[in-house]
Amino acid sequence: MDKFLVSPPPHAHSPRTTASLMRDVIIALLPATIVAVVFYGWSLVLVLAVSVASCVLLEWAICKWLMKRPFECPEAAVVTGLLLALSLPYTTPWWVVLIGAAFAIGVVKMTFGGLGQNVFNPASAARVFLLVSFPSYLTHWEMPQRLFGADAVTGPTVLSLANEGGTQALANLSQMGWHPLFAYVGGSAGEISVLALLVGFAYLLLRRVVKIWIPLSIFVTVAAVSAVFHAIDPVTYTGPIFNLLSGGLVLGACFMATDYVTSPMTSKGGVIFGFGIGLLVMMIRYFGAYPEGVSFAILLMNMAVPLIDRWCHQPKFGREE
Amino acid sequence: MTETILWTVAILAGLGLLLSVVLFLIAKKFRVEEDPRIDKVEAVMPGANCGGCGYAGCRAFAASAVAAPNLDNHFCPVGGNAVMKQVADILGYEVQEKAPMVAIVRCNGSCANRPKTSEYDGVKSCIAKASLYAGDTGCSFGCLGCGDCVAACQFGAIAMDPETGLPVVDEEKCTACGACAKACPKQIIELRKKGPRGMRVYVSCVNKDKGAVARKACAAACIGCGKCVKVCASDAITLENNLSYIDFAKCRLCKKCVAECPTGAIIAVNFPVIKPKPTPVEVKKEEEYA
Amino acid sequence: MRKLTFPIGGVHPEDMKYSRGHAIEVLPLPPVVYVSVAQHLGAPAVPCVAVGDKVKTGQVVAEPGGFISAYVHSPVSGTVKTIGPRADIAGRPVTHIEIVVEGDEWMEGIDLSEDLVTEIPTDREAVLEKIKACGVVGLGGATFPTHVKLNPPKDAKAECLIVDGAECEPYLTSDHRIMVEKPDQIVVGAAIMQMVLGGCRVVIAVEENKPDAIAALDAAIGRLGYKNIEVATLKMKYPQGSEKQLINAVLGRQVKSGALPISVGAVVQNTGTVLAVYDAVQKNRPLITNVLTVTGDCISGDRMHNYLFRIGMPLSYIADYAGGVPADAAKIVSGGTMMGKPIANLDAAAIKGTPAILYLSEEVTRRKPEGSCIRCGRCSDACPMGLEPFLLNRLYKADDLAALKENAVQDCIECGCCLYSCPSFIPLLDNIRMAKAKVKKL
Repeated sequence: MDKFLVSPPPHAHSPRTTASLMRDVIIALLPATIVAVVFYGWSLVLVLAVSVASCVLLEWAICKWLMKRPFECPEAAVVTGLLLALSLPYTTPWWVVLIGAAFAIGVVKMTFGGLGQNVFNPASAARVFLLVSFPSYLTHWEMPQRLFGADAVTGPTVLSLANEGGTQALANLSQMGWHPLFAYVGGSAGEISVLALLVGFAYLLLRRVVKIWIPLSIFVTVAAVSAVFHAIDPVTYTGPIFNLLSGGLVLGACFMATDYVTSPMTSKGGVIFGFGIGLLVMMIRYFGAYPEGVSFAILLMNMAVPLIDRWCHQPKFGREE
Repeated sequence: MTETILWTVAILAGLGLLLSVVLFLIAKKFRVEEDPRIDKVEAVMPGANCGGCGYAGCRAFAASAVAAPNLDNHFCPVGGNAVMKQVADILGYEVQEKAPMVAIVRCNGSCANRPKTSEYDGVKSCIAKASLYAGDTGCSFGCLGCGDCVAACQFGAIAMDPETGLPVVDEEKCTACGACAKACPKQIIELRKKGPRGMRVYVSCVNKDKGAVARKACAAACIGCGKCVKVCASDAITLENNLSYIDFAKCRLCKKCVAECPTGAIIAVNFPVIKPKPTPVEVKKEEEYA
Repeated sequence: MRKLTFPIGGVHPEDMKYSRGHAIEVLPLPPVVYVSVAQHLGAPAVPCVAVGDKVKTGQVVAEPGGFISAYVHSPVSGTVKTIGPRADIAGRPVTHIEIVVEGDEWMEGIDLSEDLVTEIPTDREAVLEKIKACGVVGLGGATFPTHVKLNPPKDAKAECLIVDGAECEPYLTSDHRIMVEKPDQIVVGAAIMQMVLGGCRVVIAVEENKPDAIAALDAAIGRLGYKNIEVATLKMKYPQGSEKQLINAVLGRQVKSGALPISVGAVVQNTGTVLAVYDAVQKNRPLITNVLTVTGDCISGDRMHNYLFRIGMPLSYIADYAGGVPADAAKIVSGGTMMGKPIANLDAAAIKGTPAILYLSEEVTRRKPEGSCIRCGRCSDACPMGLEPFLLNRLYKADDLAALKENAVQDCIECGCCLYSCPSFIPLLDNIRMAKAKVKKL
């Protein structure tokens, strides 16, 4: 080397890069993905493939031809694709998935400026978009074929049953084989196993990719709110355990609400953010028209993030009284 | 039904009336009295808000000019004499004409003239680079080439020449606001008189090292040999700290120093090109000079 | 035993201290030395010798140029050849005194023996005068004149002297080696400072990755029997050697923004400085030597060294003696990877505070292209001052100086944790440095 480099310190960098962080998120989503594929079979593989491929290709195309800048982090697009696929029922037609992916990347992410600039979580926004655009495909799930033999049984989701009447529905569900940690009934692909999602999330925590505050705050709020309502009227309102483990709550809390870009920067802000999501989820579940409210709650709180960031700052060294 | 509509209209109209009264009172109470001439002066200003006059913007300049007893300390470099004449008319002051100025880059350390000795790997900013070290060449005085001056120019009058790695001023666009000169951490850019038909002679170097050191670092450095000082008939050139400087107030543009300078550090611009006469005698003479 | 650390931020870079097992070697004298007059924080010293003068080792060659300034001594005996500008490691011209080495004849009155002098003098003013006369400056990085730092204002009371043996920078092992090899001298030096500060508590703070140093210091304290001196074990965390973070770790107190450590009753001195104070007060030896580490990621362990160098030795001389610059070194740094100064000019002379010659390979050190901020918050998590680097970066780009000031940009200690941890390689610290300079001008 004839000419030495000169740069301001620091002269070395942590091995963590945006790409490696996103790879960790992909790894963390693998257990849930594998369990879902085992249960739902090839039709889910198609949903996954369409979702991931269209997210990546679309972002690449927009970067290349519209924004004319390098495609910075394909891993982030993969995460969006995976999350979107896992939040849809495995029966979703491929063209609906394609529209969802196009909305997630083309509208929610890239129109705001691409990586790091979006206000809303692309996967949640796309799921909500599909939910209001194609409700028939997204709210009427078929039972997993593996469990009920050759004939597919169409049935409502756990939550849409529960929306009609608390304890009784739960009892019906238990008879149908519903188990909190391993749901054998229809729903979004990623909801099939809460356990697998939690294992993935534990990996993220262990690798210090995300902090626990946002999901913890969501879970505590959901548990507290539902405990209060359940105590008041156990017939109308479902209880904490059911609410924690059903619907997309775990998937949303652990993987969508913790999205770096659309969540507050500080831990304190994260707690407020999580509290808001938890409260909104329960309000939508108890009083709303939709049986499921996690995606809506996340989007609503995404909007509040700039405000939360304005308000919440870290304690500064030597400036706290 | 009719009643509902009537009530709605009445309430909204009442609310509108009430709020307009509130707005009127607030506007009355917090009204700021201002000299109307400030608005007039601001209207004739270029509106670039560049700060070249030394004030925060055109309005600040206008407010200060209105309050001042005369216009001696106020000059808008962007608008020049024409704008100042209008300002003087509004305020009823006298204003002296000033010669038009232009920014010049006093460094000729192009990639060819000044070899690199290290590779800068930090953020692309001259201030950051200058605070870190002397620069990526042997010359610790010259242009750092990160383009802070380009970023500072609001008029798009400076651009980096990718070939030389040096900034180039577009004389047509330059308003001599001085933002680039302020932005340059090495104080290379100077505001100079534009000169008759743009003709100028200046030393394009700020290196204060001893001749041998400067020469080693850059082929186009002023080595402080003093030949230009001796040859100058109008006493316009001074030599200080191994560096020549041409006083543009005294320079008569004879270009003798340009011919004399052994490193080509003295530059003459915008002179009409004199075609060398195609006689063999002349060519021979030129060879002798070389 | 409870291990201490500071509560806010910090990062855990790999410590890379492969040269920790290498005993300190003494470098032979070069043919010529170049003694800089700017080896300390504050006004440069003023040369007090003339060209042609014969000087002895330890003779004053430059006198303080102001209140915050220091004496500079000749590191060799020989003849002054030139006095004039010479490029320092940043390539900037600084006045250097060039001395042609003719031997190593020390001034009279300097005790060159290795005998340990354990008796602590009691005349505070005389001790401070001696420290000043010997040109002792802080060797932890800032090179602040020690006699000024040891003389806090009359109304302030020092409660605790913290001797900084954290050496939290990756690669560096010079402090580690002197703690292992000269623990007695360090403890005596600390006891001298304790006397100067009016008999306060002394804590020698060492990070847990140096168990041999902790054991050596503990044994020395037991042997020498001074009162109120102890060793504290710190957890490994960067930037623990920073004054404010170290005080917070050891005493649990936070120095208020803009205040000096003495405002919470603390004085921090680096181990190297403590050793220099011992040499100055007990041995009358001026500060003309220090220990530096030659290390890096692109040289093998057997080519790493801890050298006792004399000030004024050209760094290229030291590098050559250590086997030359490795072929795959892309950057040479004077110091560690986190805060070391880049060496633009290897011909520059070593100064009192030169901590290391660190060779880094292109792979480790070249900056990656800047990506987009993904708002991960790792920079805020890493900032030991509790600042929000991503916000400061944004405000700097918007040129919002008032908001920068409000968000405490001037509190930044430039430790580099934010840039180190940013997964998108955004030059946060570079921009914050410029923002600080702009806010300072306000």
